[in-house]
Amino acid sequence: MPEDRYQPIVEAIVNGEDEEAPRLTQAALEGGAPPLDVLQQGVVAGILKTGELWAANEYFLPDVILAAEAFKAAMKPLEPHLKASKARQYGKKIVIGVVEGDVHDLGKGLVAAMLSSAGFEVIDLGINVAAARFIGAVKEHQPAIVGLGAYMTTTMLQMKGVIAELERQGLRHEVKVMVGGVPTSQEFADEVGADAWGKDALDAMHKALALVGA
Amino acid sequence: MAHQTLELIQGILYGNGLHVGRLSPTGRVFATLMGQHADTVPFMGPQIHDHAMTVARVPARKYYWDAELLVSTQIAVERWYGFDTYTVIPDAYNFEVEALGAKFIYSDNAMPTVDTNEPLIKEPGDLDKIGPLDPSKGRIPMAVQVARLNCEKASGPFAMGFFCSPFSLLCQAMGYPKAVRALRRDRVFAQELFEWAENQAIWPYLKAQSEQPGVKQSSGADAWAAFPNLTPEMVEEWVVPSAMRLKERGKKELGMTVMAGLAAADYCEEDPAKFDKEIMFKCWATARKLFIMDVALSAMGRTQDWPMEWLQEFAVANGKGRRKLPVYASLNGRFMRDSTPGQIVDKIREWIDIMGRDGRLLFFIANVPADAPPVHIHTAVHAVHTLGRYPIAGDLAAVEVVPPAFRPFDEWLKGQPEADVIFKAREGRAGTKIAR
Repeated sequence: MPEDRYQPIVEAIVNGEDEEAPRLTQAALEGGAPPLDVLQQGVVAGILKTGELWAANEYFLPDVILAAEAFKAAMKPLEPHLKASKARQYGKKIVIGVVEGDVHDLGKGLVAAMLSSAGFEVIDLGINVAAARFIGAVKEHQPAIVGLGAYMTTTMLQMKGVIAELERQGLRHEVKVMVGGVPTSQEFADEVGADAWGKDALDAMHKALALVGA
Repeated sequence: MAHQTLELIQGILYGNGLHVGRLSPTGRVFATLMGQHADTVPFMGPQIHDHAMTVARVPARKYYWDAELLVSTQIAVERWYGFDTYTVIPDAYNFEVEALGAKFIYSDNAMPTVDTNEPLIKEPGDLDKIGPLDPSKGRIPMAVQVARLNCEKASGPFAMGFFCSPFSLLCQAMGYPKAVRALRRDRVFAQELFEWAENQAIWPYLKAQSEQPGVKQSSGADAWAAFPNLTPEMVEEWVVPSAMRLKERGKKELGMTVMAGLAAADYCEEDPAKFDKEIMFKCWATARKLFIMDVALSAMGRTQDWPMEWLQEFAVANGKGRRKLPVYASLNGRFMRDSTPGQIVDKIREWIDIMGRDGRLLFFIANVPADAPPVHIHTAVHAVHTLGRYPIAGDLAAVEVVPPAFRPFDEWLKGQPEADVIFKAREGRAGTKIAR
């Protein structure tokens, strides 16, 4: 349960106030609040509350999108403090991107926000990401998980290629693979040899945490 | 045309108990929509563009640029499967914004896709700089030819042109988050956006379609306005009035039936634990206002897990006279890809038992995935026509349905009217020059 002093930040994020949320966050920091408390009891509590409302059918995608934007805006004033003080102990890294030929990044953006709120260091490769870039990022960052997104039934087939390339280069056993996106399914994830399928952003966050044993 | 009129009359008569001759596939649909039932439950041609391209092994860089190839391929593949109507749909969400200069990604294996990371509309001032759409730009000339060919070759009453409905067009032009933010936070800007979409982007394209022989109707896809992307309340507030404006103007100025907002309010909640009867009923009630016909509609949702008794209840409660609304029962595309033939047959058996006994049931697939195994689709069509034969068997579990034998597509295609166009398209490569 967040302290009362952080409740306005929680509410600003839940209400999708992307100007008010960073302003309140900045004010809390300037008032001497510990950055980690602002993060956990204000900003993260806000996006998690949004997830609860989504799960309870009280919030729909427009509400979640606005809340995610407020969350991202509120993270901006926090980041320098967190980096400077090393206050945030990032548990694991995750490399995430939308596969080649596909530029739909709405779901990927939501997943990245939720993973970030859960403490992952998210390396977002963006959209239209070729297999070689995923491989390069896995080698460079040595993440615990690589997340592949796709929106079309044609482009989702690229996921097979990325996983095959991880296998070919001997990297598959070092990294868990998650897949997600509108046309994907648990059956598809099983077929391509992924370790988990994220049904939506909240589900992806829970499954990513489970994959790293958190 | 006379043939289609006869099919219509025969269908209406058949559906109302006067059985004259053998029903054609199109007549079967008329009988179901305008009467009680046909000889069997019909299976409408699905949205199939990516799947048809994959089955016919034609390259994306030709298929999405060549009207004759796109229409011929979809019609051939749908006939191979034995659907009762043809539905020909191009990548309907792309044409307007592409012609207006949006950045696109083109690839060898997939349809063109807009890159909203570099959006066409970045700020309100952009609306004065973009448009009106020039119908000679981009792939609009090809899309207009698709409309003409569709009306010439596809099943009469379901043959039409296509456009991208205003809300989905705004998502294509500026990204969903910014479009939805405008609706929630800046009503004045949102109204300007809809006005721009309707008048600057869509209208010139509709006008170009209306100038083609035989194109008397056009429907606007609007999957971005499905639930939960938009709530039914938001669809009522923004999408329905916009669709009514376009409909009225189309009738008045073009003599054309313009139907925007198709798939808006389609219930697409993915989590069965969140299925909510009240929200579903609201969505179906809103979708009725936008669909071509007054039906109880399912489309892209996770229908394999729906309690179909709810859809049947809605159809009965909203029927007229003693007849329920016709029910469009849509098999989910991923379900069609991921299930076994036996699971598909079981689902069809379950749905016909719940919704087919009193007639007015039609099957559909909202979007057949590119890699769905053809045997799954053949099995579904065969199962609907077998289990759906009227009178419906008292014990459907006792009716055996085995996956049908079918000739491979290439072998079947030889001698079909579309053979030359499809085989020729496989030769060589095509460029993707876009007129700006």
